[in-house]
Amino acid sequence: MAKLAVKSLRKVFGELEAVKDVSFEVGEEETLCLLGPSGCGKTTTLRMIAGLETPTSGEVYIDGVLVNDVPPQERGIGLVFQDFAVFTHMSVFDNIAFGLQIRNVSKSDVKAKVDEIAQLLDLQNVLSKKAKGLSLSEIQRVAIGRSLAVDPKVLLLDEPLSNVDARTRERMRIELKEIQADIGITTVYVTHDQLEAMTLADRIAVMNEGLIDHLGTPNEIYERPKTLFVARFIGSPSMSFIQCRLIEKDGKATVEADGFSLDVSGLSQSLEGYAAGSELILGIRPEDSWLETKKSSAEAMRAEVQLIELLGSKSIYHLKIGKNPLLLKTYTVEDVEVKGKVWVTLDKNKLHLFDKKTGRAMT
Amino acid sequence: MKARQVLGPAVRYILVILVCVWTLAPVVWMISISFKPPTEWYSPNIVPERPILDNYITLFNSTIPIGGTYFMTSITEVITLPLFNSLIIASLSTVFALFIGFLAAYGVSRYRAGGTFALFFTLLTRMLPGATFVAPLMVYYSTLGFIDTYPGLVLLYTAVTLTYAIWILKGFIDEIPPEWEEAAILEGAAPWTVVSRVTLPLVRGGMLASALFIFILNWTEFLFALVISVTQVRTLPVQISLYASAVGRMYGPQAALGLVATIPMVILGYAIQRYLVTGFTFGRVR
Repeated sequence: MAKLAVKSLRKVFGELEAVKDVSFEVGEEETLCLLGPSGCGKTTTLRMIAGLETPTSGEVYIDGVLVNDVPPQERGIGLVFQDFAVFTHMSVFDNIAFGLQIRNVSKSDVKAKVDEIAQLLDLQNVLSKKAKGLSLSEIQRVAIGRSLAVDPKVLLLDEPLSNVDARTRERMRIELKEIQADIGITTVYVTHDQLEAMTLADRIAVMNEGLIDHLGTPNEIYERPKTLFVARFIGSPSMSFIQCRLIEKDGKATVEADGFSLDVSGLSQSLEGYAAGSELILGIRPEDSWLETKKSSAEAMRAEVQLIELLGSKSIYHLKIGKNPLLLKTYTVEDVEVKGKVWVTLDKNKLHLFDKKTGRAMT
Repeated sequence: MKARQVLGPAVRYILVILVCVWTLAPVVWMISISFKPPTEWYSPNIVPERPILDNYITLFNSTIPIGGTYFMTSITEVITLPLFNSLIIASLSTVFALFIGFLAAYGVSRYRAGGTFALFFTLLTRMLPGATFVAPLMVYYSTLGFIDTYPGLVLLYTAVTLTYAIWILKGFIDEIPPEWEEAAILEGAAPWTVVSRVTLPLVRGGMLASALFIFILNWTEFLFALVISVTQVRTLPVQISLYASAVGRMYGPQAALGLVATIPMVILGYAIQRYLVTGFTFGRVR
């Protein structure tokens, strides 16, 4: 098992600066997810780790050894590609044995290793089949098996589930999680799907425009997103944002927007350095506010119901406080109607405040 | 049954038959003449009144009188040497064009070797009629001692068909996702191993399709062969032309040789047929 570290990685393609400055470390047997929208530089970062792209600057270390000048096949890396790149003209056995056969491993050793992998990935029954007719789930496992056969130090996965339909993806995600638990290998997983990242990662690096916006555990990223971008990207349905101004009201720091006013003086976030009149963005997750038909607290605000999604186990209410849209999630069905007026109370401990200028969270 | 359901297939079949008649008529005529004695060569009947095999026999034994007509003996030598020549020259040229063409196509497809210009430039050999450079070529070849030799024709055929090999194979190689090769590289494969274990097997259909196409071009080539071959490396198309000389028009043997010359093509096409279909639909996973 090995550690992986990248330091100040940068990659420029002509005019395009795909990766600007990326640094992180992945511990032994840890899984790090690079999460971000397409074009954020996550795949390029992965390809630089694999050695398929040469960094414009920056370093890649595997087990503390600088590998910038080590060719990809000598880095000890297994890579599972987005379309799996399973060789359809070969049998499953030959696919998994590919790397071993090239290394001139003896026939009996190849067979032993392939059998071991097939056992692990539940592929024993299809070993002699051509890869062409397999199901997607089997193809995924063949791709993983081929990468594992040569005992890589680090396993890289590049959006392996992105071209799979939703239902299969759900199943394969769980399958991957199980495989991961079985093999215990240092892994970097690239995805644009937050659910995959949340399920599979020990830590997540949310990438945006060639930079890591936030690196932390799935929980940290969900609970305390460091930037507006991360707050917006993680969570479904996503966080609601209200643009507001900081004012002083009755001697207390208050944020105000159309039809919206909230005392923020007692919050954990520090407002130091923000003068009255500063533009802030307040964020609140759908599950972090309550809906009532009668005003029960002084801080409750009037809202109008725009749309109701009844999803069985939960309900999503699309509300408007003044002109500000707000999503609210409940696990009960409330007795309200579209166009009806309700009272909304925000959980002040779960509020997120962002500096509008920098897009960074206030702490 | 509705009229439409009958009419549709009916029109389709009529069209198919028309196309078949259109393309096969000359072949039928050729077969017909090849079995006719000299007295019937100019008559329009399809089925020979007095069918003979002399036209075929004379290809291999030029002394026999055709159809019992004493003065009608073949004026040219037997076809054994030209048949052998054609097989050797067409095969070698095809193999060379495919070998060089694959390497060039791989370079262009994967490494953009030569940019877009080099690829376009290879078409240049096909942009002028062969007749324009056949004269300078003959002068050039005679100084090199290439006239009437195997290397002379093989080199020339390889050069003029290479561009087809490159263009066809580039299309097939482009279809293979680069990730497949990268996967092989990460598994530890050296560049040549990547090509031989992954790329080549996947473009097999394309290789066979281009092989057939280029072999047909080489097999039927006439102009260069006429100029460059004298006696030693005379090919079948040139041989066919010799039966219609100023001395006498030997339509019977000519038609017979035409048919004989088609046979290797039919066999080759038939053998490759199933790869031609799979060649164009080879498997990506999704």
